[in-house]
Amino acid sequence: MSRTRLVAWAFIVPILLLHFIVKISPSVSAVYYSMTEWSGIGPAEFIGLENFRHLLFEDRYFWQAFFHNWLWLAFTTFTFALALLGATLMAFISKASLTFRTLLFLPYILPSVVVAGIWRNLLNPDLGIGAQLASVGIPGLDVAFLGIPETSLAAVFFIDNWRWWVFIMLLLLAALQNISVELYESARVDGASAWQEFWHISLPGIRPTLMFLILMTSIWTFMVFDYVWLLTRGGPAGSSEVLNTLVMKHAFIRFDAGYATSIGLVLSLISSVFIVVFVVLRRRGWEI
Amino acid sequence: MKKIAAIPLLFALAAGTVFAGGDLEAAAEGSVELELWIDSNNGDASLARWQSMVLEPFTEANPNVSFETALIANNYDATRTALASGAGPDIVMTYGPFALELGRNKLLQPLDEFAAQYGWDQHFAPWSLDLFEVDGAPVALPDEIETLVLYYNKTLFEEHGWPVPDTMDELFAVAAQIEQAGIIPFGHANECWRGTNEWFIGEFLNGWAGPATVYQGIIGNERWDAPVFVEAMRLLADMQQNGWFMGGLDRYYTVPCATAGAMFGSGEAAMRISGTWSIGGFGGEFGEAAGNANDWAWTPTPTRTGVDIFNVGIGNAFAISAHSDNPEAVAKLLDFYYSSEVQGALFVEHGKAPAPVAVDERHLQGADPRYVDLLGAMNEAFAADNYGYTTWVFWGPKTNSYMIEDVERLWAGTITAQQYMEGWHELHQEEMAEGTVPPAPAR
Repeated sequence: MSRTRLVAWAFIVPILLLHFIVKISPSVSAVYYSMTEWSGIGPAEFIGLENFRHLLFEDRYFWQAFFHNWLWLAFTTFTFALALLGATLMAFISKASLTFRTLLFLPYILPSVVVAGIWRNLLNPDLGIGAQLASVGIPGLDVAFLGIPETSLAAVFFIDNWRWWVFIMLLLLAALQNISVELYESARVDGASAWQEFWHISLPGIRPTLMFLILMTSIWTFMVFDYVWLLTRGGPAGSSEVLNTLVMKHAFIRFDAGYATSIGLVLSLISSVFIVVFVVLRRRGWEI
Repeated sequence: MKKIAAIPLLFALAAGTVFAGGDLEAAAEGSVELELWIDSNNGDASLARWQSMVLEPFTEANPNVSFETALIANNYDATRTALASGAGPDIVMTYGPFALELGRNKLLQPLDEFAAQYGWDQHFAPWSLDLFEVDGAPVALPDEIETLVLYYNKTLFEEHGWPVPDTMDELFAVAAQIEQAGIIPFGHANECWRGTNEWFIGEFLNGWAGPATVYQGIIGNERWDAPVFVEAMRLLADMQQNGWFMGGLDRYYTVPCATAGAMFGSGEAAMRISGTWSIGGFGGEFGEAAGNANDWAWTPTPTRTGVDIFNVGIGNAFAISAHSDNPEAVAKLLDFYYSSEVQGALFVEHGKAPAPVAVDERHLQGADPRYVDLLGAMNEAFAADNYGYTTWVFWGPKTNSYMIEDVERLWAGTITAQQYMEGWHELHQEEMAEGTVPPAPAR
């Protein structure tokens, strides 16, 4: 082996070892623990595929949480629509655009605990925005959105989305700004409308970025945890339960870590499916 | 209600507890450092209390012992993980019956020898040590004896001439009267602590079915979907659906607990079913400090028959890590912590519920007489076998989690009380088979 290769390996091996210890090894052991009855400490009893059988065929809480994750994914359509609109409008702003971007990006850099605290107060039915509007004669929003089963999941999504859409928007804006200006000029010479410019130039131009963001958002949707945990803990009445809050409850409240691991493994499989679809589409020549 | 002034009476123990001073045997071998983790949930206050009331006086008497303390988020999860990997603090603090799980997995030191050495078997109420018994030896020492009662805004009740309820029928009647007066009957909210749900579950279960029947359920001789338990949960659901808790379920889930407390103090809400831990906060909700002229009082949570029942609970427990190199020093510290003097001082100065140990009457001087009365009444009920069971101590973790989470489905009307209790029964049976239901003292 050449000296250059040796040096390269010398840099890589420590990282690989660390990766093996903190990532690969727990991941492999998770496969084993998902087939055990285990409280999280002490010996684990091997029970084969029993956890998965119960999960898939008997656990209505799992399916409810699973449905909520898909619902969350459906809600992200709103995120992308808003981000696309924002990016398109921002592309026209030349003066003070950096200030705008910075201001818009602020919520993203706030810790989720802080954001959750702010919104919990803003949505307080007695003192929040809705209550203030009601006091000046604009009723209808003085509602405890986080405390009503029909609205709790959407309310948590709204709060999460409040910071997330800006991140998507900024990446789309960067992609938009990479499209050649000449394409737009040519289109205008040919008499294209603003909508035609967007549909035939902007959208194809940002498609790789958009598809990548859709993939990542799909995966992250199944990883959603912090805002749900901080704002509702999956309640009321399980109305905002998602798979990761269910994992948390099984592992650290019910001390049923084996079962929690099996849910975690299902989550990993779902993410893998998204990645496989992405890779297959790329191989088939999709520009993503 | 008859007042029993001395807590030791409950435990039938000799008045006065002397804790030994002097140096540790280990002193001859050099200094000892003990590690203690405190949950950061209550901020610096718990740690500061430990430092000033326990660690500093102990170190004065035992200068060779020093402490490394840390505020840890989610302390129990962190401790559990650390112990399982062979690390963690010397002094292990756990919630409710969780120490049992650690003890069963040999992560805690058996305390039988220390119990004999320090006379803990005489100092603690016997049932409380039995709660933490693994293979015939206690593995933890219980702290903070808890019960729940009905607190009410005394000033408001007197102004309106409302009767203080003894039975559940009377409770429902007075709640309806309060609602008619445009006041929220119960200032309850679970926004800060989802486990609040189980306070009412435990009170209604014991109060309606009676502790003896609940005991039969705990040991597996009675089905949890028996009509008497189903009815208890249906009544609780009725109260929630009436909007009696905080004015509606949506508000019960979202109004900040501090706001609910302030409303109770100001008279916007009239009652609260809660634990002894609430008493420490009433100073900020009632009277001058809160900007009102109201006062509070307590009465046993009304029951179906009107017999006073006090559900017994343990807030947390202390144990010695199996990995500790200095178990003798930890045992000595625990003996100091559970002494009448320290428990009394923590109770009087900080409103911390005492451990189920003999506390000398003279160490309770200066405490809120209402709290002292409550402890006395609780003792009286225990002596008469009129004690019930708090849900976080006497049920396994899966059933406990289920009762807290799924009761919201019952309240929301998506399941019936019958279905709720069927699910409860199924999980309890499962946990009985697994051996994870904490032991309930025989009655």
